[in-house]
Amino acid sequence: MDAVRLWSLSSSHPLKQLIRTTTTRLVIRCCSSSSTRTAPKPGGRGRRLSTSTSTSDKDAVRAIRLNKVQELRSKGLEPYAYSWERTHSANQLQDIYKHLGNGEESKPENDGVSIAGRIVARRAFGKLAFLTLRDDSGTIQLYCEKERLADDQFDQLKSLVDIGDIVGATGSIKRTEKGELSVYVNSFAVLTKSLLPLPDKYHGLTDVDKRYRQRYVDMIANPEVADVFRKRAKVVSEIRKTVESFGFIEVETPVLQGAAGGAEARPFVTYHNSLGRDLYLRIATELHLKRMLVGGFEKVYEIGRIFRNEGISTRHNPEFTTIEMYEAYSDYESMMNMTEEIVTRCALAVHGKLTLDYQGVEIYLERPWRRETMHNLVKEATGITFNELGNDLQVAKEVTLKNLGADLDYKYKSSIEACSSIGHLLNEVFEIVVEPKLVQPTFVLDYPIEISPLAKPHRRHAGLTERFELFICGRELANAFSELTDPMDQRRRLEEQVRQHNEKRAAAISGIDSAEDKREETDESYEVTLDDDFLTALEYGMPPASGMGLGIDRLVMLLTNSASIRDVIAFPVLKIQQQ
Amino acid sequence: MAAEESTLHLEELRRLRSMAQHPRIINLLSSEISSLEQDQSPPPQEARTAAEEANQKYYENRLNYIGTLDNPYPHESSVSRTISEYVKEYEGLLKDQRGVHLEDITESLAGMVMKQRSSGPGCFFYDLCGNGARVQIYASASNSELDESEFLRVHSNVKRGDIVNVTGFPGKTKSGQISIFARSFVVLAPCLHMMPVVNPMKTEGTDWSPGRPRNPETYSLKDQVETPILNTVAGGATARPFITKHNELNMQLYMRIAPKLYLKQLVVGGIERVFEISKQFRNEGIDLTHNPEFTTCEFYQAYADYTRMMELTEEMLSGMVKELTGGYKIMYHSNGLDQDPIEIDFTPPFRRIDMIEELNNLANLNINPEDLFSEEANNELKIACSMYGIQCPPPETTTRLLDKLVGHFLEEQCVNPTFIINHPEIMSPLAKWHRSRPGLTERFELFVNKHELCNGYTELNNPIVQRQRFANQLKDRQSGDDEAMPLDEGFCRALEYGLPPTGGVGIGIDRLCMLLTDSLNIKEVIPFPTMKPQDQPSARPS
Repeated sequence: MDAVRLWSLSSSHPLKQLIRTTTTRLVIRCCSSSSTRTAPKPGGRGRRLSTSTSTSDKDAVRAIRLNKVQELRSKGLEPYAYSWERTHSANQLQDIYKHLGNGEESKPENDGVSIAGRIVARRAFGKLAFLTLRDDSGTIQLYCEKERLADDQFDQLKSLVDIGDIVGATGSIKRTEKGELSVYVNSFAVLTKSLLPLPDKYHGLTDVDKRYRQRYVDMIANPEVADVFRKRAKVVSEIRKTVESFGFIEVETPVLQGAAGGAEARPFVTYHNSLGRDLYLRIATELHLKRMLVGGFEKVYEIGRIFRNEGISTRHNPEFTTIEMYEAYSDYESMMNMTEEIVTRCALAVHGKLTLDYQGVEIYLERPWRRETMHNLVKEATGITFNELGNDLQVAKEVTLKNLGADLDYKYKSSIEACSSIGHLLNEVFEIVVEPKLVQPTFVLDYPIEISPLAKPHRRHAGLTERFELFICGRELANAFSELTDPMDQRRRLEEQVRQHNEKRAAAISGIDSAEDKREETDESYEVTLDDDFLTALEYGMPPASGMGLGIDRLVMLLTNSASIRDVIAFPVLKIQQQ
Repeated sequence: MAAEESTLHLEELRRLRSMAQHPRIINLLSSEISSLEQDQSPPPQEARTAAEEANQKYYENRLNYIGTLDNPYPHESSVSRTISEYVKEYEGLLKDQRGVHLEDITESLAGMVMKQRSSGPGCFFYDLCGNGARVQIYASASNSELDESEFLRVHSNVKRGDIVNVTGFPGKTKSGQISIFARSFVVLAPCLHMMPVVNPMKTEGTDWSPGRPRNPETYSLKDQVETPILNTVAGGATARPFITKHNELNMQLYMRIAPKLYLKQLVVGGIERVFEISKQFRNEGIDLTHNPEFTTCEFYQAYADYTRMMELTEEMLSGMVKELTGGYKIMYHSNGLDQDPIEIDFTPPFRRIDMIEELNNLANLNINPEDLFSEEANNELKIACSMYGIQCPPPETTTRLLDKLVGHFLEEQCVNPTFIINHPEIMSPLAKWHRSRPGLTERFELFVNKHELCNGYTELNNPIVQRQRFANQLKDRQSGDDEAMPLDEGFCRALEYGLPPTGGVGIGIDRLCMLLTDSLNIKEVIPFPTMKPQDQPSARPS
């Protein structure tokens, strides 16, 4: 009404403006290029080409049923009725007449019932037909005899009613000889003619895409969905309680940063208008939390959203939630205890017990969890003793390839070939061979220095760092170090990281130039800059400390038995809708 | 115009025409539609599956039905207890009894209708569900306040998914089912789409109700939830968003400026009390009270209105001040650390100022809220601003002019916590229209030390009105106000499933911390505020 006033008063052509400004939104919302391109069949009904493979079957069914619609109309029957007066639901009848014996019939004059619902099964014989009708309370059989029905209703039933139709029926109640409670039908009507065959599981919302796009419907239709989000709230609250009971203080560090550091990942880039500069969305909270330690806080944590400009999968969403925590004057051993504490408390809060089922596998969370070095795990799985391989990378690769056997996937072979150091090689073998086997909770200790630029060198083993990752169900759940506090060493390692990245990037860019690839950007095409401000902070002096990061989405997946990260994020990032 | 694009326009136009009520608009739209249709050869057919058509038909029927009602989205709702409290209470009281009615007791419940059945035109049964619990409603014409035909009209139009409010007496049916026997039965928010049937395959037993957790006693009433920061539309507030790009999906994303629209979707989904404490991002200048990223707490409560939310806000803030300082008064160096501090008094209740009434008084204006959409009103406000020497940088939209006037005349008085209430519709696209004063909305803003600290509404839950409000916002966008709110189709669709009457509040945590720590600069309460790059000391004069 106010809109009306707006339009009629506006001086220029209001509608054009209205529509024009909505264009960008519309393109995002209904980017239906495929349907608009393929749809116009001259003169024909532009029914969308369904994504289903059985499109032609569906079309045939539809055509046949449309004829039935015509036929019903020609008999003066409306295939899309306005209403139907029901006396009972299917379940009520099952309940009221549960004492009716086999073969017994209720008195038709006393027990006239009227019912409506969808036909989900149908068997027809010469003068007898059985239909199964389902309403939202349950199912009941319709027992249809030619003699009972008026005029040619029985023939109509046989020829014009299909599975999927919504029908209404009246009659009395009879239990068949086989014990099936039935409505002994004396009249029926098609209330809604269904034009398409029912999907296998027509009941409820099973369209995965719609589940994520219209989560609220999903939550109403699928009870366990709302349940996941209540549990998620419970997990986050339990984590807070646990770390706060140990004296950690919650802080908030920036999402928008001048340089994205603390991990290796492609960041999102945005632009701040009034500052006139690019800003990166954080890829980790690590470097700012360490600055808090420099500033004098001794126990800090942040539960925060992290952003990585990477693909979407069952384990990856571009934005996800982690807890990172840092404790001064402690080392990675104490963080292992902390991690056990957090995960077990959350499991108890959600399940009340420490044995859980994850996708059919029993997981035992009783402490203590297994703690084993990466070297030993690799040795256990492959027989290779990396300590004894020496420093010749080429020899090490040959030994590894020989050991892993000839039937190793090509993808893995080439990633082994591409390793730039013994440390990378060890990690590669670990990821290929060991990771998937770490089903029960396992702390993997002492990672090579080459792949751990923020961790302190191991106090006893050269070339290694004091670092662990927690694996459950073959998935990394947590990552922790004794933090590197030597500013000179830190600078060297970060510079090396930038150098390596730029090398890869240069290689990738030249590759694109020669191949004229359509995809302009590859994984390495983003820029990595040194966070000088962080290095300056270290130069002021950071106390010895340990730090740990834990993926909350993955923890919730584990504790709610969810297969995909999208099941534990209320509104996951989705591709632009292709309808 | 590319064919695809005009197809999209056509769809949008048709949709608008289906919503339009004024004949002139319908004519305009119709002529635009036919001219567009001629541009396209062959004319594109609506490509829809039968299921989509059925859904569309259902939707249209529901729209038609609610079009016949005076107010399909009433403001008033009353809830005496939650469904689970009710069931617990009367299960205990009526243990092992059947067919008893406690007609002296009156209770009010609210929730979503999931199952419905009727045993004749004078008697309807419903399953009422809310926050994990369910109870039966027994509605009979004999108990109802309505006459029989009216009773039948109301109940024959109740659909699964409707949010309803029922008042009546407790009891048990003959079969021993705990029920509420309805004296009054009001639909608060009709569900306009087919609500899918609860999926029975995965539930334990068939007696599931929406949102019921497996271990109800282990959950608190309010659930902290997390909603996305990266959005395809930046909605829920009026501000310029940050834009970024997802490379692999080749998709432009906005960083959220408010979590509001998602939290309201969760209320639609059955989580009746939600909150989120989280970062918001606004691509705006940096000053003493603004940082591009800042933290808010937003909370929503189904079946509450803005009056209740104002009380809650009062309770929360005054309680917090009391807890932290031991009293209700704080000292704040509002004029600088070298000056004497001022006293800010958080003793509840806080003062309330009616926005337009007070503005008319103080500025000697004659604003009629019903006329604010007109050019005349816009001109009058321009004149008023220049008369009082109030600068309004272009675009001079009515909303922005009003905002400046309110800033000048009203916010200046708000040193102690003060609610400015009942904003005009034109300023509040997401707030529900005022139940008794046309042109206004049920909204409040809380100002402390002349700065906005909280913003709350009775949430708009009528999808048709919501779409019109978004359309009005478009006018401001066209006049160059890139902070006006864009249409969020997904959100409108969620409303069509039925949002219960809901109250919502957002609180700025950083500004609250400033007050409670006597900090004059927002940078004092953010450990790592956004700074200008050091190598360009004067990046760009703004």
